[in-house]
Amino acid sequence: MASIAARRLAKELKEIQTEGCPVGINLVKADNFELWWFTIEVMGESQYKGEVYTLQFRFDGQYPISSPAVQFVVTEGRQAPIHPHVYSNGHICASILGNEWSPVLSVTAVCVTLQSMLASCKKKERPIDNDRYVRNAPDNPKKTQFHYDGKCCPALIAYSIMTDMGSAITDDTV
Amino acid sequence: MGNASSSGSRGHNDESVDYGSLVPQGVYTGPRDWNHAIVSQLIIARRLAPFYRPLEEFESGWDDDQILAARKEPSTSTESTDHTSRSELVHTISSKSSHSKRSVPSRDQLRPEAAVYRGAVECPICFLYYPPNINHSRCCDQAICTECFVQIKRNEPTTTHLVSEPAACPYCVQDNFGVVYRPPHWRAGIGSDGSTPSWPEPPRESAQPPTHKRRQHSYSVDSPEVVTTDQIRPDWEAKLAAVRAAVARRANRRIIMRQVGDRLIPVGVSSGRVHALDSGEAGAEAAEGGGGSRRRRRGGANSHIEHLMSIPGQDLEEIMLMEAMRLSLIEHEEHQRKEADERRKREAAAAAAAAAEGGASNEGGPAGGPTPQPAAVASSTLATPPSNSSTIPASSQVSLAPVSASPASAVSGQSQSNESDTGQQQQSKPPFNSQSRPSPPSNSHSESLNGSESVSTSLNQRVTSNRPPPPFSALNAALASASTAAAILGPPLPRQSQETATTTTTTIPTSTVGNAHMTPSTSALDTNGNNDEQDQPPALPPKSTPTATTNTSSSSLNPRDASERHLEELSYGPLPSSPESAADGVVNEPLLAAIKKKDGGNAGDASLNEVERSASGESGQSQDGPTPNE
Repeated sequence: MASIAARRLAKELKEIQTEGCPVGINLVKADNFELWWFTIEVMGESQYKGEVYTLQFRFDGQYPISSPAVQFVVTEGRQAPIHPHVYSNGHICASILGNEWSPVLSVTAVCVTLQSMLASCKKKERPIDNDRYVRNAPDNPKKTQFHYDGKCCPALIAYSIMTDMGSAITDDTV
Repeated sequence: MGNASSSGSRGHNDESVDYGSLVPQGVYTGPRDWNHAIVSQLIIARRLAPFYRPLEEFESGWDDDQILAARKEPSTSTESTDHTSRSELVHTISSKSSHSKRSVPSRDQLRPEAAVYRGAVECPICFLYYPPNINHSRCCDQAICTECFVQIKRNEPTTTHLVSEPAACPYCVQDNFGVVYRPPHWRAGIGSDGSTPSWPEPPRESAQPPTHKRRQHSYSVDSPEVVTTDQIRPDWEAKLAAVRAAVARRANRRIIMRQVGDRLIPVGVSSGRVHALDSGEAGAEAAEGGGGSRRRRRGGANSHIEHLMSIPGQDLEEIMLMEAMRLSLIEHEEHQRKEADERRKREAAAAAAAAAEGGASNEGGPAGGPTPQPAAVASSTLATPPSNSSTIPASSQVSLAPVSASPASAVSGQSQSNESDTGQQQQSKPPFNSQSRPSPPSNSHSESLNGSESVSTSLNQRVTSNRPPPPFSALNAALASASTAAAILGPPLPRQSQETATTTTTTIPTSTVGNAHMTPSTSALDTNGNNDEQDQPPALPPKSTPTATTNTSSSSLNPRDASERHLEELSYGPLPSSPESAADGVVNEPLLAAIKKKDGGNAGDASLNEVERSASGESGQSQDGPTPNE
């Protein structure tokens, strides 16, 4: 792994271990610098009161310049929260995980942001395009180009290909 | 430069600025895609902090040795050496105090190098420590090392994300990220006046080195002190332009589809750069039409590919796409050809079989083969008037529901044919063939009609002259048989037949299909009941069905011909009556009695054929659905 990612993650991990995680967030596993799991729980009154979800971080060698791949864990009996920006496969439509990622953000900062995303939710519902997206979603949510326009509408590269075909004109001379 | 000797003695290369380097120290291992010359110039001009070897950790109380021990080993740009230096680094850090031999040539000379780290600051991105003369964001005055700064850039434009916003500040997300560097008050290395720095100021051991005073204002992007991310990657505009051009090219590209039946076949792709078909050529092809156009087009596509090949820089992707389409088209044509061959073979076989059976039935006796045929003609004569309007059959169908008993048995003729003669077998087959409209049915009929030459010739003439082009006969046959069967058969079968009809083509108007089988299905209940009572009787009327359906299906195609035929057929009217009426009179009495009350006379046959006709007429209409595409 690239030195920068390992070095920075080592420091983040050390800080987590010495100072602890923010309230409602707990480190589940961080056996290497490629995959970390956290549990996340919304404190206080919210739609998700008493529910605990698991967040997965995947880091590439260019972290923190490149964002981690963050999603909810939907295996081993775990489920993604029902939220307008959370797909049933665990993928999250959040700008800070995409084009608004900043290398200044840390793993715990992401956790806190997602925690507040859940806390501010007023109605539990899946994104409108959930089924369509989940059907074609890549394994890594970073490969999805989400449109951060309030409504979830990921523009997959595959979709753009389909659009190309759709715009094809038919030339029927028969 | 001037102090090359001194820096050389320290084990640095010549290119050092203020004890830092002009080249990165291996913090990041990704591609170094910034403009190195520009960055070097900016460092030499003291507008950007040099690449210092970062400290892994830093405590304010450290002495020089500790600082130098924590200093990351310089690494060459290759990754392998970077790894070794890192493991070395880890090792030295863990053992902390003691340090390597080569880095400590002389205490005196070490001092300034260590001294620059006094008051080291942590870069908030890489979490490493650098001398306090570090870059600060122009907008929010946050520290950022040069290693991290050169990593920050615009998002690479992609074909799906065509805009390239300037990089935002990682701290405050303001657009047009840029940094400001305040160099130390002393100089060393490149750009110094040659005198050995001899730390007039830099050590400043006691007082904290000029702690960065928070700026009161932010710099605007275009202020001369600011170095932006775009400045060190001046090629971003060219990159964006290149991607945009590629996308524009792709957007202009059109896939040319050709409709063949219900399929759209891609036959080519136009390039955005070159005109695939110039308008003149395209117009000519459009005007040409017909079967020839496809061959021409394919040739055009081929030559177009050659044309593309000769253009340097043309997208290979485009060429490959076109080739794939061309192959797809060829495959499709081959498939069609094969289907046509098979169809021809099938039809020939059916005709041969029919001929053989026809001969057999002729030998068997005059009553077997020929007679049913005239009967059909006669009945179709009666049926002809309604054929002009398609709505009539539906009503007549309802009113005549009981009569459909006989058609039902026609389909179940298989079982009957076991008992009865070959003539029936022969008749049970045609319903399928005859509805397929192309030549074979006419053949089989004419063969079977050997007995009465006049009839056979007239039929032949009629059918051949009226025969429409049969490109989709297989489909039509399926449709016709489906809907006819639906009209004839009992409840369970209609559903099945409807399924086949809909799977064959989606363009069938569902209402027609519904019409065709809805009424019979109710009537079929009675029919079945009747059938149980009388096994044999319905055997004869069905014989007329093949011809009836043939007539009507062809008449539905060409109404004008129907009237002509009407005249033609009138002359044969009396022929059928003898055997048919005899059979009906004897066996079908109870069944026909009800109808005779209503219609009287020959109504039994006529109405029967009307049912048939309406069924096939409906199917004929449903056949019209997909066919106009031809």
